[in-house]
Amino acid sequence: MEYAIELKGISKSFGPVAANKNINLSLVKGEILALLGENGSGKTTLMNMLSGIYMPDSGSIFINGKKVSINSPEDSGKLGIGMVHQHFKLVERFTALENIRIGMRNVKSVLIRNNVRKNIEETAAKFGFNIDLDKQVSNMSVSEKQTLEILKVLCYGAKIIILDEPTAVLTVQEIERLFAVLRKMKEEGHSIIIITHKLNEVMSISDRVAILRHGEYIDTVVTKETNEKALTELMVGHKIELNIERPIMEKTHPLLEIRNLTVKNDEGMIAVDHMNFYIRGGEMLGVAGIAGSGQKELCEAIAGLRKIEDGLMIHEGKSIVGLSPKDVLAHGVAMSFIPEDRLGMGLSPSLSITDNIILKNYNDSKGIFVNRKNGRAEAQKVIERFEIVTPSTETPVRRLSGGNVQKVLLGREIKSGPNVLITAYPVRGLDINSSYRIYDILNEQKKKGVGILFVGEDLDVMLALCDKILVMCHGALQGVVNSDNTTKEEIGLMMTGSLNIVDRYGKTAGIAKDSVITDEEGKAE
Amino acid sequence: MNNVVEVFELFLFNIIVYNIPLLYGTTGEIMIEKSGSLNLGVEGTMAIGAVAGFLFGARFDSLLVACIVSFIAAGIVGLVFSFLTVTLQANQNVTGLTITTFGVAFYYFIGNAVSNGEKGWPKFSGTQLDAQSQALNIPGLSSIPFVGKALFSHGILVYVGVLIAILMWLYFNKTVPGLKMRSIGENPAAADSLGINVTAYKYIHIIVGSGIMGLGGLYMALNMGGTFEGSNCWINGYGWIAIALVIFANWSPAKALLGTLLFGFFNTLRVQNAALAYAFPNVLGWLTKIPSHFFSALPFIITLIVLILSSMTSKGRSGEPQAIGRSYYREDR
Amino acid sequence: MRKYHLVRRSNPRMTTTILLYINGLLLSLLVGAILLYALDIDPFEYYGKMFTMGLIGNKYGFKTIEGLLKVFVPLLITSVALSISFKMRFWNIGGEGEFLVGAICASIIAFNSTGMPNVVTIVLMCLAAMLSSGIIGVAIAALKVKFNTNETLMTLMLNYIMLYVIRYIGETKADWNFFLRADSERPKFGTFPDSAIMGGIQIGKFKLLWAVIIAIVLTAIVYVYLKYTKRGYEINVVGDSSATAKYAGMNVGRIVLRTMFLSSALIGLAAALTVSSAGTISDTITNDVGWTGIIVAWLGKLSIPAVFIISILISILQYGCQAAATSYPAIDSNFADLMQGIILVFALIADFEANFKLVETAEAIQRRKERKQKRIERKQTVTGKAEKTAEATKEGTTNE
Repeated sequence: MEYAIELKGISKSFGPVAANKNINLSLVKGEILALLGENGSGKTTLMNMLSGIYMPDSGSIFINGKKVSINSPEDSGKLGIGMVHQHFKLVERFTALENIRIGMRNVKSVLIRNNVRKNIEETAAKFGFNIDLDKQVSNMSVSEKQTLEILKVLCYGAKIIILDEPTAVLTVQEIERLFAVLRKMKEEGHSIIIITHKLNEVMSISDRVAILRHGEYIDTVVTKETNEKALTELMVGHKIELNIERPIMEKTHPLLEIRNLTVKNDEGMIAVDHMNFYIRGGEMLGVAGIAGSGQKELCEAIAGLRKIEDGLMIHEGKSIVGLSPKDVLAHGVAMSFIPEDRLGMGLSPSLSITDNIILKNYNDSKGIFVNRKNGRAEAQKVIERFEIVTPSTETPVRRLSGGNVQKVLLGREIKSGPNVLITAYPVRGLDINSSYRIYDILNEQKKKGVGILFVGEDLDVMLALCDKILVMCHGALQGVVNSDNTTKEEIGLMMTGSLNIVDRYGKTAGIAKDSVITDEEGKAE
Repeated sequence: MNNVVEVFELFLFNIIVYNIPLLYGTTGEIMIEKSGSLNLGVEGTMAIGAVAGFLFGARFDSLLVACIVSFIAAGIVGLVFSFLTVTLQANQNVTGLTITTFGVAFYYFIGNAVSNGEKGWPKFSGTQLDAQSQALNIPGLSSIPFVGKALFSHGILVYVGVLIAILMWLYFNKTVPGLKMRSIGENPAAADSLGINVTAYKYIHIIVGSGIMGLGGLYMALNMGGTFEGSNCWINGYGWIAIALVIFANWSPAKALLGTLLFGFFNTLRVQNAALAYAFPNVLGWLTKIPSHFFSALPFIITLIVLILSSMTSKGRSGEPQAIGRSYYREDR
Repeated sequence: MRKYHLVRRSNPRMTTTILLYINGLLLSLLVGAILLYALDIDPFEYYGKMFTMGLIGNKYGFKTIEGLLKVFVPLLITSVALSISFKMRFWNIGGEGEFLVGAICASIIAFNSTGMPNVVTIVLMCLAAMLSSGIIGVAIAALKVKFNTNETLMTLMLNYIMLYVIRYIGETKADWNFFLRADSERPKFGTFPDSAIMGGIQIGKFKLLWAVIIAIVLTAIVYVYLKYTKRGYEINVVGDSSATAKYAGMNVGRIVLRTMFLSSALIGLAAALTVSSAGTISDTITNDVGWTGIIVAWLGKLSIPAVFIISILISILQYGCQAAATSYPAIDSNFADLMQGIILVFALIADFEANFKLVETAEAIQRRKERKQKRIERKQTVTGKAEKTAEATKEGTTNE
């Protein structure tokens, strides 16, 4: 068999975190290979090494049987690899034609000539693209932009095409059209890697499926010989017994109830779609979902950072809709969100631990001065309680290691004594020990009767740690399951949209029996 | 009547002859800004181009040498700016202002040193340099009534300035390197992902843009008769007007040409308001009542208004590069 | 293949950073010395004259100090004020314009103050200047907050508009124009009545103007404000990460407006103190502090104590150049500006050295290792005799 790409023993780490561990992967010429894996399983990192954005720490890459070294996007392009990034790399002010033109290597002419247009139009026609080359990118829809990105790599003569989650932003009809194009490209002899989470798409488009899990290569299977269930098992793996404590507490009435919540993202698209759920005191509710399914918008909406379109948010009988972040906190709802870059939200990287600890209550003390004496004492307490490793309370947060940064953030939220704690990705990028310390901290809160919403990435952890798990897909609720009565496969199927059990138990999931919201209120909104 | 025509002709002539340096400064700055950097060092870069170009031009008694040296000297200033802001990622505002402070001071430093030196400040009038920079009367065209003298009887550097603006417009809009350069000013990460060498493009365009500013400085030096007085810099704020003009021209070299004429119009009105009022007492008599300072400030006032209005409507400044003023560090992506 | 790539240092050391800066300063002086040498001037002598400002062996040394302080006061306050807005990442480069607004408004009071008590006049002058400059600053901040208008370019335009306003006042003879001397045919700025002239404490022959004390006290207050008050804390958070500030429930727009008012009002105050100390106004009254202040703030890395020290150094540089110009006609006070530019360039380089380091790429390391391996292999094939000689030479070198 002839291989377009062979990866042998590829490893890549970012600091202490290994993103890819000894990965072997092959792409047969003229096939469509689906690359499947959970969030953080290392798919995008692996593909970025093919597109020249990262360089592998070790291992070798073979293109068409020849060992190569890819140091830059230019090298990658010269080898005939084209990548369509999840976040488009387009110049908004330029037309489609101009965007394509600036990356063309094989055209000698210095002037912008029309013969280029003809070539592009021919390529577009060949693959059945319907695109206006003179349209400015800023006026294009998401699907048009994606078409442009694909046309771009085809025009550069790429024979190997990598698409990073191309369907995440498309409608069903647009996905059908995209798949038609991919099949056409395959006919023309292109080799394609498509990253996706959606199993039905994997089944319908791919010839083979390669699965990554936690940065490791698991297997490659022929699509025809497998099914969605088997793929899910490969993707999420067998349940790993983690020795995480899960104290069982007596649950109180619902502290926070969310009903029919609809929120838009920054692009104005619906990110959270009529979501229902509730959290009781002494309960930890996990939120599972593919990255970008609306977790961030959900957290921001509850914390008062994002306007909601529709729905109710009731905390202990009172609505918190429309309150400022400060007032939400005063109500007793605290939120800590660890963004991908860890420092972006909620922390001031150049300021000291003390200054970050007092961020939310600096204004409570009397007088014009910031009460740093108390702040330092609080910081010291947080440092001791959460075993934060730091030279002093005055060290800028930027200089701390990842785990300690996260402890500072979590410590500040817990310090304010909330009865609902929302925490998103609190162990993102942490090593095992730090992660366990964070779980302990959360459990301590739970024992105190705090209701916790835990937005996580690792299903094993959530199954071990959370009492119940809410699964969302594209912003919509797929069901709420009890951690003891579910399997990873079931959650996996729900995350990928293949299973919806909202109405399984004869009642709608996410609505408490003893809800303070009357039926009329719930419907009226 | 004859007198009226003369005043009119002179007015048109002066708009061009005294304000072409603005065009050089503006087109140079447009090139730099379009490639993604805001360089506030126009005044200083022009000053260095002026003094270096003039002194070498006088030494070798050749306009060509003067031009080459002023381009190179100002280009070196551009190299320093690129090194600091592109390679070392220093703040562009601070670096640009430093270049202005340094450049103007350098002008005085060298000027004073040469004036107090053994040979003294070189003479300009009567030299080859003077002759070469004198007006060329383009046969035929320069005798067109009314506009002939104003448009077609200038020194060669006037035409070079206009030519640069036209060529730059073509370069931006009709050539692939120009397109690539603009893509860097708009979205360096996208350009980088297509294999365009962002650093090299920024360096080259900052250096060439600075070189063009230097030529503008040289033109001012020649226009001032090349005399160094030690109290007033040849550039005299034109660099700052150029920065304003970039905004007014919406980052287009073609509109810079029109903007130069408009700003030049105000500038000339300031100098010639008395003559105009005298020539047309009934129509333009009121001109003498407007203080000349108002005309001086007008470019800045207009630009301020353009800035504010366009940000309110967020339409007008469609030419502004999106990534201007930001450093690009590949590993931040 | 790229051999090296740049990596941000996570933990730059204080002592190394300071050493790098001192190194940069020495290099700048060296470049200055080369320039001087090129003009046949003994750099040591010149620098000697410059840094002592002609103090040594001068009967009128106190005059020198008084002159130096007149340069120092506006520069210090302006630099401190600009640091406040830069801390918030607000690019207020309108120091010149704000200074002129303040100077004009203070002068309006001053010229009409005949007969008023000195203290009242000066307080009024300060208030007028602070208010007028502050309003300009707030207007610019409001446009920035509301429409995201580019503040760098707005403040830049302001500088030149104000420059022509003051020139207009200074060059227009008219009945309304009380700024000008009535007894002069040519337009010329008048001098303030005694009521508007800054007083001071007489120490022997030396007169310490109140302005100096005010400037130093003010710097201390701003230091405390930024470091210890809630408002200062907010400025730090907004400057560091405005997303975090919003998350913490801060009203970022209001903080920007308030801080810009403060920053511009301080520059207005600097102007009031300057015109009152000078006893007059002119179109060069700013002495370029709006520009120099930016360089000082940047050199001081926006830290108030550092800005204080650098203001002193730059004042000495400027005043020293003026003083030295009397003995060296070929070099005027522009040499100070020249040096400022060179110093900043070297400081930026030092800053870069302190914050970044070159790191070998993984591939380069690998290749180097491979080469080393090959060298070792080659060595092993060499005869034992050669090895012995190599060892012998090695011993020889270590003995030395």
